[in-house]
Amino acid sequence: MAKSSSDRIELLQGTLDMLILRTLLFGPAHGHQIAKHIQRTTEDLLQVEHGSLYPALHRLERQRWIVAKWEPAGKDLKRQFKYYRLTPAGKKQLVAEESKWKQLTTAIARIMWPVEEE
Amino acid sequence: MRWFRRRERDKDLERELRSHLELEAEELQQDGASAEEARYAARRSFGNPTLIKEDTRSIWTGISIERLWQDTRFALRTTRNHRGSTAIAALTLALGIGANTAIFSVVNTVLLAPLPYKDADRLMTVWGYNRSRGFNTDQVSAPDFADWRLQNHVFEDLAASTDVMYTLTGSGEPMAIIGYRFSANFFHVLGVAPLHGRTFFPAEQQPGKDHVVVLGYQLWQSRFGGDRSMVGRTVRLDGAPYTVIGVMPRGVDYPGTVQLWTPLTIPPEAIHDRAYRFLRMLGRLKPGVSINQAQTEMNAIARHLAREYPKTNKEEDAINIISLRQMISGDIRPALLVLMCAVGFVLLIACANVANLLLVRAVDRRREVAIRAALGAAGPRLIRQFLTESILLALAAGALGLLLAFQGTRALVALFPPTIANLSIPRIDQIPIDSHVLGFSLLASLLAGTIFGLIPAFEAMRSDTGESLKESSRTSTGTISGRRFRSVLVTLEIALSLILLAAAGVTLKSFAQLLRGNLGFNPQNVLTARLMLPPLKYESEAQQLAFGNQVADRVSSLPGVQSAGTVTFLPLSGWWGTRNVSIAAGSDANQQRDAVWSSVTPDYFRAMGIPLIEGRSFTKYDDAAAVPVAILSITFARRLVSNENPLGKRLKVAGLKSNVEVIGVVGDVHQLGMTSDVTSEIYFPFSQVPTPLLCFAIRTAGYPMNLANAVERQIWAIDKDQAVSFVMPMADLASESLAPQRVISILLGIFAVMALIMAAVGIYGVISFATAQRTQEIGVRIALGAHSGDVLKLIAGQGLPSVAVGLALGLAGSVGLMRFLSSLLYGVRPADPLILAIAAAALVTSALLASYVPAHRAAKLDPTVALRHEYDLPVIIHFRMFCSKLTLSFLLIFGIANAAPAEERKTITGWVLDSACAFTKGLDKPISRDCALACARKGSPLVILQDDGTVFWPISESMPAAGQNDRLLPYAGKRVTATGKVYSKGGSQAVVIEKLTAANQ
Repeated sequence: MAKSSSDRIELLQGTLDMLILRTLLFGPAHGHQIAKHIQRTTEDLLQVEHGSLYPALHRLERQRWIVAKWEPAGKDLKRQFKYYRLTPAGKKQLVAEESKWKQLTTAIARIMWPVEEE
Repeated sequence: MRWFRRRERDKDLERELRSHLELEAEELQQDGASAEEARYAARRSFGNPTLIKEDTRSIWTGISIERLWQDTRFALRTTRNHRGSTAIAALTLALGIGANTAIFSVVNTVLLAPLPYKDADRLMTVWGYNRSRGFNTDQVSAPDFADWRLQNHVFEDLAASTDVMYTLTGSGEPMAIIGYRFSANFFHVLGVAPLHGRTFFPAEQQPGKDHVVVLGYQLWQSRFGGDRSMVGRTVRLDGAPYTVIGVMPRGVDYPGTVQLWTPLTIPPEAIHDRAYRFLRMLGRLKPGVSINQAQTEMNAIARHLAREYPKTNKEEDAINIISLRQMISGDIRPALLVLMCAVGFVLLIACANVANLLLVRAVDRRREVAIRAALGAAGPRLIRQFLTESILLALAAGALGLLLAFQGTRALVALFPPTIANLSIPRIDQIPIDSHVLGFSLLASLLAGTIFGLIPAFEAMRSDTGESLKESSRTSTGTISGRRFRSVLVTLEIALSLILLAAAGVTLKSFAQLLRGNLGFNPQNVLTARLMLPPLKYESEAQQLAFGNQVADRVSSLPGVQSAGTVTFLPLSGWWGTRNVSIAAGSDANQQRDAVWSSVTPDYFRAMGIPLIEGRSFTKYDDAAAVPVAILSITFARRLVSNENPLGKRLKVAGLKSNVEVIGVVGDVHQLGMTSDVTSEIYFPFSQVPTPLLCFAIRTAGYPMNLANAVERQIWAIDKDQAVSFVMPMADLASESLAPQRVISILLGIFAVMALIMAAVGIYGVISFATAQRTQEIGVRIALGAHSGDVLKLIAGQGLPSVAVGLALGLAGSVGLMRFLSSLLYGVRPADPLILAIAAAALVTSALLASYVPAHRAAKLDPTVALRHEYDLPVIIHFRMFCSKLTLSFLLIFGIANAAPAEERKTITGWVLDSACAFTKGLDKPISRDCALACARKGSPLVILQDDGTVFWPISESMPAAGQNDRLLPYAGKRVTATGKVYSKGGSQAVVIEKLTAANQ
């Protein structure tokens, strides 16, 4: 079951886009899979609001970082899902966001847990 | 194509979300939930699909036209449900926007319209500044001009001009024309090229070669029919031939009222005379030079000249540079800015009122908003909906306002009377509603719509969705923030109204002061006329003298004339001349002083009612053979000799061959109008100093204009070619010189009253709404024994705090803002405490009245009814009744404003005449039947001339165009009695003849 709301962490503005792109690095996925993947990987710590997921997906699609295509899936391949996959531009964007994110976390870490100087 | 793609995308999104929900439900089902439970759970965790869809869609499209249309349709539906309040809101706004548009259209025409000159921003008028006289637009002498021009480094070039009056003869009536003599470079400095032909060559500035003329567009059109072949032809000015060398394009009329230009020639005696100041300068600043820079450099030059030539220039030690644009819009500019500010306030008050109305409506709509929010309408979406409604309303109001403004601009043309000459006011025949004005009113509407739309939108958003849905109408009392909003609005309205009332108050008081003010003469019952004797025809002073005396004598002997005199420069005419005066006995160091001069005939002072204070007036014996004499105005006498006795002093006057002896002192005259200071004046007897310019001042027994024709006939009896202009009562001149003050005080008064009414309406709305919301509480109070007086106090008192705060803010604002008015005021302190007190009292009274009405209603409540009271009913009913009443009264006001001409049934008896005869034959006697018949057959309409002199025009009610000659023709030249409806409008009488019979002779 989902953890109680106080344990959840609000996603920082703009990080959802990065997480989506990172998730798609493993291969094409549809919206539900992306949401579940993020949730499961973080052991339900990060809940993806559907109200932000779909606008985010469409935003990324509009910026041509991902492309979408309806493809048959499931056990019997009878149902179709809208699969998103990463474009080369999307990969580049992911690298850029990752390095930005790293810089940010390092910067924050330096303030939060300063290393004692010897 | 785009439409199609959007549809596709919507479908796609729908499908995507559905598949997501299905997957979620399947997963939950695998965890063991029933199918139905799983579906619900999936939906719950999913959130609001509509909102997600909207958000996602907006990623692709932004705000779509489609949605705007949706909002618009919804807004129109809402409007239909609130017809009363919408109408009142639209009317209030229309008044505000209309007033703004009307005033802006004047600003647009007067202050913003481009001047027809190249780089007009660099054009400056340059004047002498005589500090001791306080005269800052002094003309310049020829040697000073030469020095200014040579020594400065700030102007590309300086050009000189001087005004001149010509009599244009030839085809048509002789015509007095205001011309300007321009130095050859003047048109170049001005930056205009002629429409046809050329401008002056430098060689044409030499006397003898200067008989060339450039025609103004208007004169060229009206007198010469716009004939291109005029260039090269000869016209006669003052009887002398002048060759037309060019025509200026339309709109080039600098300086105002000018009709033609001739080359400037400097008379030999003026070339070295620094006291002979007769030139007006125009300069073009070098690019990048500011007015301040130019001012500093020119002042330095003037100081230098003052040191070098102390005798003539000691007092003229500064130069005043005024931009051409400011010179042209001159005296009207501050008035327009104040009016613009005032209408801005009115619009703000209107916005506050409309916001108030919408706030009330928003309470009414809280549940609707809550439901929409619950269904997924996000904040921005709701605000957009509210804004669509308010902007729609504002646009409708703007359209209505434009209609009002269109009417208003016609009235505003009165700001610019054509004969006004003593003020620098641009000549304006019409105030067009052009694209700028349309843009302005659109902008004003949008801005207003946004301002008053956002307030109720935020208010509606703040209320808690869940609470609004849960609460029953019975307990609904409106939110605290809503109440606070409303009282802030009332405060704002009160403050702005107070400022407007105070401004209107001081302006009116100042205008009253001006009306009461003593011009130094009595303008009542004085007929004036101006003539310019053509110098060629009246070359010698003897000829001018003979003409002037002869006309003065003839006019004096006309029946109805009490006294008649002539003067060179009629006060308030905008014409004046100055001469240098000094005491003859004094040493050379003795300071010369400039005085406004005039030559007058002996009866002038009596005709104008200028009092003789000391000594004697001129007599007919003060002629060329007698000792030269002069009369001073009292202020000038003081300035000249301070405490000594001026009588008997001998004065040296520039331009006069011999010294003059002071024989009298008369009262001061405001030569340039009530708003400017008294000037130093010196008068000479016309017989000793004759002038070609003659202005008549004729004191009459009755209405001055009755004698106009007779006076003209007397002048033409002596010289049939003499042009006579500006035949008008002195009182009209005096009244026109105050036209701007009159218009601004009337307009400010109107705006202040509008503000007062709107503020009262606003307070009424707030109090009655609050009362209605507290009906149950009041019922309980009354049931528990509260007296009606207590209730009255409770209700009426609740508006008082915001009124008090508003008053305080308004007082502070008035004191702060009034100084901007000070340049428009005369004899009144801007922050006049009495007027502030009256304005505040008026506001408090109307606020009390506005809150008394609903309070009184509450005090009379029957507790049993009040306790059962459901919130919406009485509020809405009262509110609707109030709105419809207000709408009705607005319509009534408009109705009265556009009132139909008065009509009544009458029986009239009189002569049937041809209309031309009725007016031209002096309106006093019947004419022969044959004459009337002959005229009528030629198409001249027949009229009935009643015995008292009233002329009735026969009209048809049904067919306005149809003449009534057929009915009257049998009676032409006879006496008739006619019965019918009589209409009267603006002094004209018309009759719809129902019965027509011949009357006894």
